[in-house]
Amino acid sequence: MRDVPVAGAAPASLRAKRIDWAGHIPLATLVVLCLVISLLTDRFLTTLNVTNVLVQAAVIAVVAMGMTFVILGGGFDLSVGSTVAMTGCVAAAVMMEAGILAGVVAGVATGALIGLANGLIVTVLKVNPFIATLGTMVIVRGAVFLFADSQQIPIEGTLPRPFLDFAVDRFLGIHDLVWVPAILLVALSWVLAKTRYGRNLYATGGNREAAYLSGIRVGRMVASTYVWCGALAGVAGVMLCARLQSGQPTSGEFYELTAIAAVVLGGAALHGGEGKLYKTVIGVFIMVVLGNGLNLLNVDSHWQRVAVGLVIIAAAAVDQLRHRR
Amino acid sequence: MTEPILAAEDVSKRFGATRALDQASFALAPGEVHGLVGENGAGKSTLLKILGGVHQADSGAVRMGGAALRLKGPSDAYRRGIAVIQQELHIAPALSVAENVMLGHLPGTRALRFLPVVDRRAMVESARDALAALDFHPDLERPAGSLSHAERQLIAIARAVSRKARVLILDEPTAALEHAEVERLFGLIATLKTQGTAIAYVSHRLDEIVAIADRCTVVRDGRVVATLARGELGVARLVELMTGGALAHGGATAAGERGEPLLAGPLPGDPEGLRLHSREVVGLAGLLGSGTSQALRYLFGCGPGAARGAVRGRVRVRRHPRDAVRAGIGFAPGERATALVPGLSVRDNIALPSLARFAPLGRCDDAAIDRMVRALVDALDIRPRDPSRPVRTLSGGNQQKVILAKWLAAETHTLLLDEPTHGIDVAAKAQLLRLIREFAARGGAVLLASSETRELLAHCDRILAMRRGALVGELGRAGPFDEHALRDALGSEL
Repeated sequence: MRDVPVAGAAPASLRAKRIDWAGHIPLATLVVLCLVISLLTDRFLTTLNVTNVLVQAAVIAVVAMGMTFVILGGGFDLSVGSTVAMTGCVAAAVMMEAGILAGVVAGVATGALIGLANGLIVTVLKVNPFIATLGTMVIVRGAVFLFADSQQIPIEGTLPRPFLDFAVDRFLGIHDLVWVPAILLVALSWVLAKTRYGRNLYATGGNREAAYLSGIRVGRMVASTYVWCGALAGVAGVMLCARLQSGQPTSGEFYELTAIAAVVLGGAALHGGEGKLYKTVIGVFIMVVLGNGLNLLNVDSHWQRVAVGLVIIAAAAVDQLRHRR
Repeated sequence: MTEPILAAEDVSKRFGATRALDQASFALAPGEVHGLVGENGAGKSTLLKILGGVHQADSGAVRMGGAALRLKGPSDAYRRGIAVIQQELHIAPALSVAENVMLGHLPGTRALRFLPVVDRRAMVESARDALAALDFHPDLERPAGSLSHAERQLIAIARAVSRKARVLILDEPTAALEHAEVERLFGLIATLKTQGTAIAYVSHRLDEIVAIADRCTVVRDGRVVATLARGELGVARLVELMTGGALAHGGATAAGERGEPLLAGPLPGDPEGLRLHSREVVGLAGLLGSGTSQALRYLFGCGPGAARGAVRGRVRVRRHPRDAVRAGIGFAPGERATALVPGLSVRDNIALPSLARFAPLGRCDDAAIDRMVRALVDALDIRPRDPSRPVRTLSGGNQQKVILAKWLAAETHTLLLDEPTHGIDVAAKAQLLRLIREFAARGGAVLLASSETRELLAHCDRILAMRRGALVGELGRAGPFDEHALRDALGSEL
C-alpha cells in the first residue's frame, strides 16, 4: 500500500490484506508438506529423490501451465491427456521419417491444432467447454489408437539417440526435462504480466462482458487460450515421448485431472481471471510431492488416491471461503 | 392510525464503507398504501430488502404485529405474509401460469396412495381463484414466458394473494407499464386495500404517490427525513424533501455554443437517428423497456447488425465495440458489473481500452500507464488514491468514476452513458455530473440515458424522448423544458 489510506477505507484495506495473506496458502501448504514428509522419512530429502520429484513434475507442469491459460480465460480443457498421447505418437512417427526437429515441430503443431479445434468449438459453436473438450478428449484418444494402430511407435528400431539422450542429459546439474518448464514458466509469466495479450486475457476471464465493452475481441482471446493449452500439451507429449523412448497411445491418461487439480491447488479461480503460472507450478509440486511422500511412506496406492482427492476438495473449499463475504 | 402490522425501527445497514441506512424507521398499517420515495441510492431498496428478509439490519429491529422479527431470508418473509414484488419479476418462464401462481406452495397429493405428486386440480383451482380476485382471467396452461410484463406482474401479485400476504411491497411497479395497465394496477391496489392488505409503494413517479398513497415516507442519504400524511402530500414538497431543498436545477449550465457534429447515424428502430455535437450533453429519456439501453449499445457496435453513420464527419462502420473504441467512442453500461473487471486493479481497468496505445508492439509501457492512471485518479478524485487496489473494493460512485477514467484514458470524444448515476450517493452523483459537464466543455459529446427525468432536465442541453426504440420527440432549452413537456414527449400521462 503506497498511499496512506483515506478515511473510511479501513475495512477495504483490511480485506485486501487478508486476501494477500490467503494468496500464499499454496506455497505454505507445499512447505509444510515437505517438512512433514522429511520428518517422517529420511529418504525424501535425498538428491536422488529430489531429482525424481523434479522430473516427475516436469511433464505435468507444462500441461498445467497450458491449463492455466484456459482457466484464466474462463474455460476448461479435458482433452489435454489425449493430446499428450496424440502429440507424442505424431512426434515419434515423424521423427522416424524426417528427423528430430521435424518430429518436435509436428508434435507441438498437432497439439496446437487440437487446441484450435477446441477453441473454435467453444467460441464459434458455443458449446460448453466442459462438454466440448469431453468430446475431443474421447475423439483424440480414439484417433491416437487408430493412428498408432494400437501399438507403440516405433514398433521396430529406436528413436534417434540425441532425442532419447534429452530425457537423461543434464545441464548445470539439472535434467534437460526440468529446464523446459522452467524456461516456459519465465517466458509465459512475462507474456501474462507484461503484454497487452496478457492483460486482455485476465480482463476477458475476469469479466467477459466488460472486456467486450472495452473493445477486446473476447472470442479470439478465449479461442487462443485453447491453442496455448494444446500447444503446451504438445510440448509435454514430446517430453513424455523422450522419457518413454516411444510414442505410447495409452500415455497421458488422467493428466487433465492432475493438471486441473494443480491449477485449483495453485489458487486460480475456476470462473476465470485470477491465477498465476508460478502458483500453478506450486500446485503441481503439491500433487507430485504428496504422491512421492505417500509412496516413500509405503501408503497403499488406493489410499493415495483418496488422499489426493481430499486435498483437491480442501483446496477448492478454502478458495470458496476466501471468496465469500 | 391503527397499530402497524410491519415496522422497521431505527434500522441501520452498512455495505463495506457505504452507510446505506442510518437509523431509518418505517411503519405499515393494515389497509394502508404507504409511499416510499427517495433518489437513487438514498436507501429505499435497502430498506425494502430488510423488510423482505433479503438483508439483515446491522442494528435496529423489524417488528410484525408488535413482536420482534428475525427474518432468515425472502422465503421466511413470504411465509410470514410479507410479499415483495420486484421490478425484475421472479417468473419461471417455462412453467405454466397456474404453476407460477402457486410456485413455492404447490398443493400436493398422493398418486397410487403413496407417490407424492402435485395435485394439479387443486393447483389450477387455487390459481384461478387468486387470479379472479385480481379480475384477471388468462389461460392457466400457457407458459408464463409468453405473457407481457404487466401480465407477469399480475401473476406475481396473484402469488402473494394466494398465500394470503398481509403485506405487499411493490418496488417501482409502474416503471414498465402502459397507461391503461397503470389504471388497472391502481384499481387492484384499491381492492387489496379494502381487504386490509398493507401496501408499501415505491416509485419515482411522484404524482402516482400523491394520487394513491395514504402516507409517504421520504428517505435521503440513508435517513428518513419525513413521513407525510395524505393531506400534506404534493409533488413539489416531495421533491424538496428528497433533494434536501437544493433543487437540481442549480446544476443546469448555460450551455456553450455547440460545436461540430461528432456522432450521427440511424438507430435500429429509427432510420432518422440522432446527431450529437461537440460541447453538448444530450439526454435520452424513456420508460423502462423503451430501448434506450439498446440504442446506446447499438451505437457502440454491440449490434444487432453494424452501426453506420458518421463519426467526426467520416463514415465509421462499427461491428464490434473495438471499432467504436477506435473511432473514439466510449460506453458505460447501466449495469456497472458489466463495465469493470472486479478482480483487476483500478489501474488495469482504466488502462484496458487504451492498451493498444500503450503497447503498440504488444509489450506494455508500464511507466507511461502508471503516469496516466495517477493523473486520472487525481483529476477525477477516485478514492482511495491507490490504483493497485482491486476495483471491487471501491464504492459505487468511485467505480463509476473509474469507468469514466477508462474512457478519458482512451481519448474518446463521445461518451455514451447509461444510467451513470444509478445507485451512487448524492455527493458522488454531483461530482460525476460535474465531470460529465467538464468533458463536454472540453469539446466532447455526451449521450446520457436516464430514467430520472429530473436529472436529465437539470443537466442536459436537450433531451431526446424514446419510445419502443424510436425517437418520438425532442426537448430543447428554447421550448418548454420541464417534467410535463418531457412526459408529453414520452407519450405517457403519468
